[in-house]
Amino acid sequence: MSISKEAYTVLESIVGAEYISDDPAVCEGYRSGPGGYESGLGYERVMTVIPGCVIMPNSTEEVQRIVKVCCRYNIPYVPYSTGFYGPRSHPHVDGALLIDLKRMDEIDIDDKHWFAVVGPGAIYSPLQEEAMKRGGYVVIGGGGAQASVIANLIGDGWSPLSHRIGLPHRRILGTELVLPDGELVRMGSLAQQDDPFWGEGPGPDLRGLLRGYTGLRGCLGIVTKMAVKILPFQPERLEPTGISPHTSLALPEKRVKWINFVVPNKEAQVKAMFEIGKAEIAGAVTKVPLFWRAIAKAECKEEFWDLWGKENSDSINKFFIVRVLLIGFTSEEQMQYDERVLMDIMTEVGGEARPTKPSDESWIKNADSAGMWMMCGSYVSVDYVIETLSQATQHGETYADLKWKYTPPLMPDYGDPGWFQSFELGHQGYSEFLVYWDQDQDTNGVDLFYVDTAKMNIKNRAYTSLLGPHQPLYLTGPKYGPNYHTWLLRVKEEFDPQWVCHPPVPLAHDVFMERAPWMKSMKDWEVPKDLPK
Amino acid sequence: MDAKEKLGKLVGAENFSDAPEVLLEYSQDFSLSPPGMPNYVVKPKDAQEVQKIVSFANENKIPVVPTSSKVHFYGATIPRQGGIVLDLSRMNKILEVDADNRRVRIEAGVTWEQLTRELRKKGFRIIMPLLPHAERSVLTDYLERVVPTNTVYDYGEPLQAMEVVWPTGEIFRMGSASVDGYPDSLSKGGNPSGPGLDFYRFFQGAQGTMGVVTWANLKVESIPVMDKVFFAPVDDVEYAIEFLYRILPRRVGQECLLLNNVDLAAILAEQWPDEFERLLTTLPPWTLILVVSGLLRRPEEKIAYEEKFLGEVLKNEFPEMHLAENLPGFPGLHKKLLPLLRNPWPADVPYWKNRYTGACQNLFFITRPVLASQFMYMVEEMAPQYGYPVSDIGTYFQPIEHNRACHLEFHFFYDPTNDVDKERVRIMYRDIAQALLDEGAFFTQPYGELAPLVYEKAASYAMTLRRVKKVFDPNNIMNPGTLCF
Repeated sequence: MSISKEAYTVLESIVGAEYISDDPAVCEGYRSGPGGYESGLGYERVMTVIPGCVIMPNSTEEVQRIVKVCCRYNIPYVPYSTGFYGPRSHPHVDGALLIDLKRMDEIDIDDKHWFAVVGPGAIYSPLQEEAMKRGGYVVIGGGGAQASVIANLIGDGWSPLSHRIGLPHRRILGTELVLPDGELVRMGSLAQQDDPFWGEGPGPDLRGLLRGYTGLRGCLGIVTKMAVKILPFQPERLEPTGISPHTSLALPEKRVKWINFVVPNKEAQVKAMFEIGKAEIAGAVTKVPLFWRAIAKAECKEEFWDLWGKENSDSINKFFIVRVLLIGFTSEEQMQYDERVLMDIMTEVGGEARPTKPSDESWIKNADSAGMWMMCGSYVSVDYVIETLSQATQHGETYADLKWKYTPPLMPDYGDPGWFQSFELGHQGYSEFLVYWDQDQDTNGVDLFYVDTAKMNIKNRAYTSLLGPHQPLYLTGPKYGPNYHTWLLRVKEEFDPQWVCHPPVPLAHDVFMERAPWMKSMKDWEVPKDLPK
Repeated sequence: MDAKEKLGKLVGAENFSDAPEVLLEYSQDFSLSPPGMPNYVVKPKDAQEVQKIVSFANENKIPVVPTSSKVHFYGATIPRQGGIVLDLSRMNKILEVDADNRRVRIEAGVTWEQLTRELRKKGFRIIMPLLPHAERSVLTDYLERVVPTNTVYDYGEPLQAMEVVWPTGEIFRMGSASVDGYPDSLSKGGNPSGPGLDFYRFFQGAQGTMGVVTWANLKVESIPVMDKVFFAPVDDVEYAIEFLYRILPRRVGQECLLLNNVDLAAILAEQWPDEFERLLTTLPPWTLILVVSGLLRRPEEKIAYEEKFLGEVLKNEFPEMHLAENLPGFPGLHKKLLPLLRNPWPADVPYWKNRYTGACQNLFFITRPVLASQFMYMVEEMAPQYGYPVSDIGTYFQPIEHNRACHLEFHFFYDPTNDVDKERVRIMYRDIAQALLDEGAFFTQPYGELAPLVYEKAASYAMTLRRVKKVFDPNNIMNPGTLCF
């Protein structure tokens, strides 16, 4: 269903005929999937539709005018930059206007004050390259370097490099937000002048509206400009090498070096992370799932399964690695100091350094997420949570236990407890648990597992990234805060009383639960009768 | 039941007062803000009592002014529309010290003196602003975004998950403390963000207008094993700031700041006024202070590489910067200054900003370091027009996060018993603030008279703030008349 001709004409006058289309062929290009994050699951099948129209503004003023027209004509709209975050960043209702922001791709770097001003269409890849030319770096999230910087920073925004600065919120500076009713609010120093160098205030900090830990999927407005922090790095060039897809960055070994350590057991692994944090050394400290090694080595799906097929529960249970990135932020001598301290710690915990390639294939360069669905076709992170190392190092095991019940359709991983690492020099810990499946199989079990993890976290009193629009709001809401959902919904009502901004988010997973018959057995909580249908 | 009877029952008679002499204590502070009387003062013992008081106030639309510190400098807790002063000083428990995760959980009434003392026993410290008053609430100061003297950590703010009582009376835990049953939970409260929205952001810089924070988790750091304090006398402040642009992004040093002779003399002087006067004339115009620390492991080696880096930069790029372990003419200064930087100002000594003339008006804001000297020049041009001598202006430059920004603070000293002097400084303060604002100074904490100036310039922000405030505080009971509410 397309939007009315009358509204179309008004919208066309804002951007010009070249940048609006309701041609079904164009709209089809914005269909969620196939392949990739959360692809092929019930949520995608039940909740996503192609847009009725696509528009591509080129300025904040155009975005404001478009949103005001949507409010006037009651047209649901969805902000969209690169669409990496799978079904949840695609339209959920018929006749929606998809506002594609990729033309707003400015990147303007202030290297004296360590920030870049970016538009919502700007992606990480050029930002990282330009930051590094100036002796800085940015943290590219798991979405990959092809992801929008802004979309990533208001929904995700971390990687192993978050050992130095964990919460992505802390990297958001002056920001411009078009509210769901089309009003513009400028935050931080942008509130009073055309300079975005500072993020807070004045007074209470309205950046609280932007994301809420893991994002609101665009249901509270459209960010049209953001200044983001760049972190000081080191001066040597990281040289791109190889031919796609086998590319990497050659590391200047006196200033940047990965070292993999094998440690005797999990206690040693956890202790090493705590001690590295307390010693305030390193640029990344992480432990990744074993199957990532197979992903990194394999050049195709078949090779992955050849490698992975050699593993078993025993090999998983005896695999304890700590991967550490050393960076000579100050000087070569500083990196030597870090290495000596690191070796002291590893000696204490019984760790042994293993030969490690003098290159970076993933986290500095581009967070190479594209390979992550190679082996099965589809994947999703059922948690990617920042808490403390106390939670992070135990959390994955609860997922692994629950996962047996849903394997298959989930990929067999022999009880691998996932990924954990240090954030903010050990003040925080991060855990992530990824699941994979073949989208050609019956995936209802994946949908059930996904919601079952929310119940598990509630029962275990664990914090989780999958709150807000990522799980049924009426399931998690009463159990966190408590009743955070009531405040979230009141804020939504205040700024979007018509619910035109990406409806029915943040209630989309609640609606999915109502619509998907195979989810009925899972639902044992109350929802109001007037839930959007 | 009237308010007096109800409140007395909620907290017990000994923790309730409407005696004029008690109310008077809460009606004024060390700022130039006009006095304002509350009707009642209550001192709850825990979040449940806070909840009951706030619920009662909300039902009856009675203003509530939360206060946690025992001393105030900005007028933020002076009631503007009467009501209840919610004094949280009894809620002063250090609830947890979590050594593994380097985290402490404290109630709102915990003071700098109390926290630094207790943490030291366990080998920890919390990064601190410059010489906070011993009786200030740590939690309030961090909610109000005090700027730490430590510039090396990328993550800046130490605030983590916390608990609040909403203006409508519900208790709510934020971030990863939001899990059911916290703190008896897998989640420890290390993440302030979420659930759903970043609610905690609304409480930062809010001056008690968004609700009542009852406890919070804060990051703590290990106490360095050894330190070297370096000083450089500075005539050309722009040169010193360029030096900071060069060295701080390379992650050297812990505490780092610039003080002019007036502020440094006020901090160092012990014999008043003689020693202060002598220091004023003998100290250099500016002094750069940089602390290089050896941490828990291989402390000598850490200091060595930082010193080597500094030495090379000084020799090759900044030959006029004479950084040394002593300020020429002031032997022993390093021994005196380090404890000052790592401790609050003692409660039994007049506060360092108030020692000179009895009171001090602080003017501070955030800017780019490269613009600092321009703002200093403006202040020095304007102050004499109000009869205030440039030689009496205290100035403090605090680099933030690798010197990507800075906190610039001016101190105007006055005699609080002299009404003419007070009025002169008040007018000067307002006029200078307006001029600085017009030139781009960013006042993230707009106290008192600054609020209307700032929000007039940030109109759309103020409008959105009011909409958010309406959601959480529909009856505008929390500290009404403050900020733009």
